[in-house]
Amino acid sequence: MFTKQLVAIALFISFCYTNAQDCDLVLKGKIIDFHDSQPLSLAQIYVVQLQKTYTSTSDGSYFISDLCPGSYELSVSHFDCEVKKLSIDVTENKTLNMALEHHVNDLEQVKVIADVHDNHASTQSSTRINKETIVSYSGATLGDALSTVAGVSSLKTGNSVVKPIVHGLYGSRVAIVNDGLRQQDQEWGIEHAPNIDVNTASSIQVIKGASALRYGGDAIGGTILIEPNRIISNDTLNGHVILQGQTNGRGGTATTTVNNYRQSGWYQQATLTYKKLGDYDAPNYVLSNTGSETAAANLALGFKKFEYGASLKYSFYNTELGILRASHIGNASDLVRSINSGQPSIINDFTHDINVPKQEVAHHGLQLNAFKRFTGLGKLSLDYSFQFNNRKEFDIRRGDNAGRASLDINLQTQNVSLYGLIDRFEKTTYEVGIDYMNQVNSPDSSTGVRRLIPDYNANKAGAFVSVTHLPSENWILDAGLRYDFYKIDAEKFYLQSRWENLGYDQQFPEFEINEQGNQILTNPKFNYHLFAFTAGAKYLFDDHYDLAINLSTANRAPNPSELFSDGLHHALATIELGRLDLKKEQSFKINTTLHGNVGKLDFEINPYVNLINDYVQLIPTGLEITTRGAFPVYQYEQIDARLYGIDASATYDFWIKKKSVDMNVNSNEPIYDTVKLISLNSNFSYIHGTDSNNDLPLIDMPPAQWQNQLTWHNAIVQNLDFKISNQLVFKQNRFPDNNYEVSIPNDQGELITSIVDISSTPDSYNLWNAGLSYAFAKANTKINLTINNLFNTEYRNYLNRQRFYADDVGRDIQLQILYNF
Amino acid sequence: MKTMKNSIQILAAVALLSIASCSDDDGVTIINEEELITTVELELTNQTDGTDVVLFKSVDSDGDGPNAPVITITGPLNANATYDGTVRFLNESIAPSENITEEVIEEANEHEVFYISTLSDVSIAKIDVDSNGNPLGVQTTFQTGAIGTGVLNVVLRHEPTKPNDGTLSSAGGESDVEVAFTFEVE
Repeated sequence: MFTKQLVAIALFISFCYTNAQDCDLVLKGKIIDFHDSQPLSLAQIYVVQLQKTYTSTSDGSYFISDLCPGSYELSVSHFDCEVKKLSIDVTENKTLNMALEHHVNDLEQVKVIADVHDNHASTQSSTRINKETIVSYSGATLGDALSTVAGVSSLKTGNSVVKPIVHGLYGSRVAIVNDGLRQQDQEWGIEHAPNIDVNTASSIQVIKGASALRYGGDAIGGTILIEPNRIISNDTLNGHVILQGQTNGRGGTATTTVNNYRQSGWYQQATLTYKKLGDYDAPNYVLSNTGSETAAANLALGFKKFEYGASLKYSFYNTELGILRASHIGNASDLVRSINSGQPSIINDFTHDINVPKQEVAHHGLQLNAFKRFTGLGKLSLDYSFQFNNRKEFDIRRGDNAGRASLDINLQTQNVSLYGLIDRFEKTTYEVGIDYMNQVNSPDSSTGVRRLIPDYNANKAGAFVSVTHLPSENWILDAGLRYDFYKIDAEKFYLQSRWENLGYDQQFPEFEINEQGNQILTNPKFNYHLFAFTAGAKYLFDDHYDLAINLSTANRAPNPSELFSDGLHHALATIELGRLDLKKEQSFKINTTLHGNVGKLDFEINPYVNLINDYVQLIPTGLEITTRGAFPVYQYEQIDARLYGIDASATYDFWIKKKSVDMNVNSNEPIYDTVKLISLNSNFSYIHGTDSNNDLPLIDMPPAQWQNQLTWHNAIVQNLDFKISNQLVFKQNRFPDNNYEVSIPNDQGELITSIVDISSTPDSYNLWNAGLSYAFAKANTKINLTINNLFNTEYRNYLNRQRFYADDVGRDIQLQILYNF
Repeated sequence: MKTMKNSIQILAAVALLSIASCSDDDGVTIINEEELITTVELELTNQTDGTDVVLFKSVDSDGDGPNAPVITITGPLNANATYDGTVRFLNESIAPSENITEEVIEEANEHEVFYISTLSDVSIAKIDVDSNGNPLGVQTTFQTGAIGTGVLNVVLRHEPTKPNDGTLSSAGGESDVEVAFTFEVE
């Protein structure tokens, strides 16, 4: 397998070196928006000496090849910017990135920036997912789109619940910021996916560390910034419609975005999405009850001038997700049976119906923003947001309780923040901010099932300051500091036997309120002081290389699940217990990023180390017998963790000359265009996580992964692209042994002691995907045909909680039609 | 510019108002598990001697809590005898206690009780059926043989495969009850 891939790569490399020219210098780069770093597509670069115009692609990049050494005049324009002229000397292959300033005349309109990183003003390790990639995931989840980034993987429950893992960490350790609003959607749960429609994103930035202090200091894994469409101050109505259908799940997604911009500064944006899928298929059987239905709406109304603006946004996300029927089990014996049988215990005919067990989640977000720029100083921005999240989980129940939710939690969060940016100094930029959050969690008491997460009221107040300094053209230095005070006040019923068994009657007698039957009402209250600090430096060697190092240290308070969990977990037949005496986690992370851009090769290597003191993890502590049978007990515990790893990615483009359809007016000679022929893209990530107190591997660490993609541009006919990709996921050989023994009655009534193997990891697997895309009608309409899991490979994914019960999904043929207007 | 200032003030006022209005002081009400089965009772009555009643009982009053079930058996079974068996599943964590057996019988198609004895001389027959004519197992007949000591497993499965061959492995479904009684035949 490997040899074949290597041979293929070698062949392409040798092929590429056959077309060297005399005048073969290349000028390339990216054109981005000065304010938000978003790529600007369709920017025009007119090279005066060549009398030719080049256009930036959808990711903002442009490529001018076959330049002879010399001076060139460039005139760069974008449809809502004034034309900017600049002259450059080209003596060698050069990367020239340009940031265009929109709709203003008091700032310089084109700023030439030297580095080639996505986030040009920072030392943090970050990767941006561009619009084109996001569009190709219109029928998938946010988590699926994020896993295209090296170092980001997914923690799944089935195929619909997909949580991002950044450098081995997930849940409360990863902050998701949707259009400036930190998402609060009960992200502490393993089977809780982010309630965000991927189609609302225009670009997504993944910051692999705690360095995005503006959005909170506790994201010790990373921060995911989801950015909406850029505001244009021009009379423009644009948008798109995407229809997607897929064979696996026999359903699809329809989504549309409409943006209306006025020169006056007023704008309206709307995105509507509806998705319906039935049961997924594994290669050999139907994954019964894995259908889903999702509806989402995002509406924005605003007024934006360069100096000031305000906006009102409302977002709604509603989803109903089936959970694999066979994964709902009664006790450890059922789990052993499922693991040993190798296929789901319940396989029904395909259906679009969603039955129990299932989740129903609704999320509402309301956001108000206003900003003002102060001449010669900077910008002040005030944000208020309100979020309401309701989660219902339905189990298999009997009698009158059938159809009633077993879990029904309302989480209401409000945020106010004031953010200031001081950018008047040429070499130094300051950012300051204060924010306050209030959160109320109220589980419904009519479920007839004891609350998994108790009623609580949490308050958080924080402040941060950060500075970016550019001492010379070659250096970027930045540093930041943040403090948060976090207070949580909960009211929870414990079983008296549990309260005493955990020793809380001795340790926390002050929390006890009263005894009711065999339960005790308690009022746990905790305060946490959270500090975060980040500092970094980046050195730009020349046009080709830059090296950045970033240190971040951050605290995270234990989440409500880690503090208060108490009860039976049906999917894994475990009793999970929180711990009231958890301290804050403290992480120290060093990210190093080497980026190179040499000729046609662009690569990035990002090694990192993350040392986490008092890392909270679930560990098995024993076995408890109940009327239902035996269950292993897991309790949260704090250890010191050591994570290190490396992400590497590279893109190589092969170009050829093609005869242009235009003729040179002066000489009647044919003109040759340089066009991209083949792009090769490769991503590799590896992570090593250890519990350093016990010298044991950490659980749920993503296995090493290698993804490769080959794109043949303009294959056979113009605008037809052919893609083939593969994803090689290695076996995770480092895992803690959490297996346990239970006595299970066999058919003869004898109690047989069996080992419940919940630790062993699935074998490595290699998935192949292929696709065709064809653009027509002036590239406004595009058709994508994609086949995922081309060979219908049977596999199980270590990071999918469904792996104990069933294979992962099989072949899927998707057709997507995109129309831009 | 002036409107801008005003709108910022309005926004701030809205924000503060809504934060101030969100504190809730509702009392937290207790939830008693409604579907919890705390108690399994198997009553065996000798067909020829109505005073020979043996009760197998397992009580787990804290449900999913840390305490293990307490198992009691009122006495040994007589050898070479026939007993009528009735099983009851109760939720005694609430007052009055709830008889969950009624729901099991109502939803007989989705339930089945299994009895597995390590004493091969003890044969157990399910005498009740669901609406499809498949065994349910709330009502049974126990036929004892020679004396000995063994283990009786009582297992209630929710949504098993029906019909099945009478073994746990072919039935599938979810275990709602799994209790082992060590008993004597003398």
